[in-house]
Amino acid sequence: METIELLILILKFILFPGALFCIAYGWFLEWFDRKLYARFQNRIGPLLTGPKGVLQPFADFIKLLAKEDITPAGADKFGFTVTPLLTLVVSLFTLLFIPIASLSGILSLSGDLLLVLFISTVFGLLIMFAGYFSGNRFSIVGTERTGLQFVAYEIPFALSVISVALATRSLEIVNIVTYQVNTLKLPLIVIVPVAFIIYLISSLAKLEKIPFDVPEAETEIVAGWQVEYSGKKLAFFRLATDLKMVFVSGLAVALFLGGPYGPSIPGLEPVFYTIWFIIKTLVVMFILSNLRSLFARYRIDQVVRGFWKYLIPFAVLQILAVQLLIFLGVI
Amino acid sequence: MAVLSKLVKWARIKSPWIIHYNSGGCNGCDIEVVAALTPRFDVERFGILLKGSPRHADVLVVTGPVTRQTKKRLVRIYNQMSDPKFVLAVGTCTMTGGVFRGGYGVVAGVDEVIPVDVFVPGCPPKPEAIIHGVVKLLEKLQKL
Repeated sequence: METIELLILILKFILFPGALFCIAYGWFLEWFDRKLYARFQNRIGPLLTGPKGVLQPFADFIKLLAKEDITPAGADKFGFTVTPLLTLVVSLFTLLFIPIASLSGILSLSGDLLLVLFISTVFGLLIMFAGYFSGNRFSIVGTERTGLQFVAYEIPFALSVISVALATRSLEIVNIVTYQVNTLKLPLIVIVPVAFIIYLISSLAKLEKIPFDVPEAETEIVAGWQVEYSGKKLAFFRLATDLKMVFVSGLAVALFLGGPYGPSIPGLEPVFYTIWFIIKTLVVMFILSNLRSLFARYRIDQVVRGFWKYLIPFAVLQILAVQLLIFLGVI
Repeated sequence: MAVLSKLVKWARIKSPWIIHYNSGGCNGCDIEVVAALTPRFDVERFGILLKGSPRHADVLVVTGPVTRQTKKRLVRIYNQMSDPKFVLAVGTCTMTGGVFRGGYGVVAGVDEVIPVDVFVPGCPPKPEAIIHGVVKLLEKLQKL
């Protein structure tokens, strides 16, 4: 009996809501994002790799794996090798907490919201290490910019999540989802819309997508922190970025859009929940791609100033509003 | 292993990332290369992305004759790219030096400095011609 349970748990980690599903879904999201971005620019986007180009990110990944892997003479060899792996592992690890096929993630413990927030902070740190270890002047500039942007987006991100935690009076992702499903019977976006907007904007900065892609600004500093990475290491970084996309949209779904819950046939919940999860994350990605193609890149000082001057006050106001609602007994 | 090498070949053909370098041309070809990347011709259909860093790219797109000043840089960029790497020479100047051939500052064609896989003639070549050149390069990859 115990061995069967253990086997199911291992399969969960490796196959279904775990690693393989997340990686495949990450590639799908990257394709979705690229295709939408291209359509917004009146282009076609990936077309000839698989049906409608769905396999494009997979082809990119395989090609990069098969390429020569260069370690520059000026790089810190150990750090240069370890950082891509760590980034991949960390971004896979955070996904274990995201509820996909049921109302809780594979892993779930009390206070896991804090843990997830902390680990998502490590993404930024790892990017800084990645640029620092490669010992290239462009990547050093990219590192500095990552650090500055990190200071900018991390606080509004945390504040927007805190207002959710206050509204549901819980630091556990399962409880937040079940609160929306059972107690509130509405997605939390109805109560904390401002926090959702702030979450989206700061997650755009977290993903280093276009209005906030200062750390890898192509026209200014070549490719920023990832300038020296080639072959396998670049493949790992790209995969980690895709997984981060799944993580950010998945967390948005769990916190603001009622988790993977939706109308379903009793007995087939995992299937329906997965479908709802995919639909909801695609909606979030649709908004992110829209923002990505609407805006041009900000300067780094504009990013920091904007986040501190506008987003943080609004996030604090949102927290006060939540407190007021709790005081009035609405939620 | 045969399946694996087939998969790798498929992936290589489906995602050639390019880096664009002007080795001293008049910018005519560069405009055409940019036109091939932008909405009207959109080479991202083939999975082609323009990359900034030579470490990320597979195909080096060179435009213009090689001048004495850029020769060293061109070789350095070529060496910085990771294997397998290919060179696509765009424009008449990259083949022979064009109207600049014999000038005191000009070395001549790109093939005198680095190995070239595909030449695209024209002054400047149309975006269609550049895409045709890319397709030729992909055919060459198929035979590899």
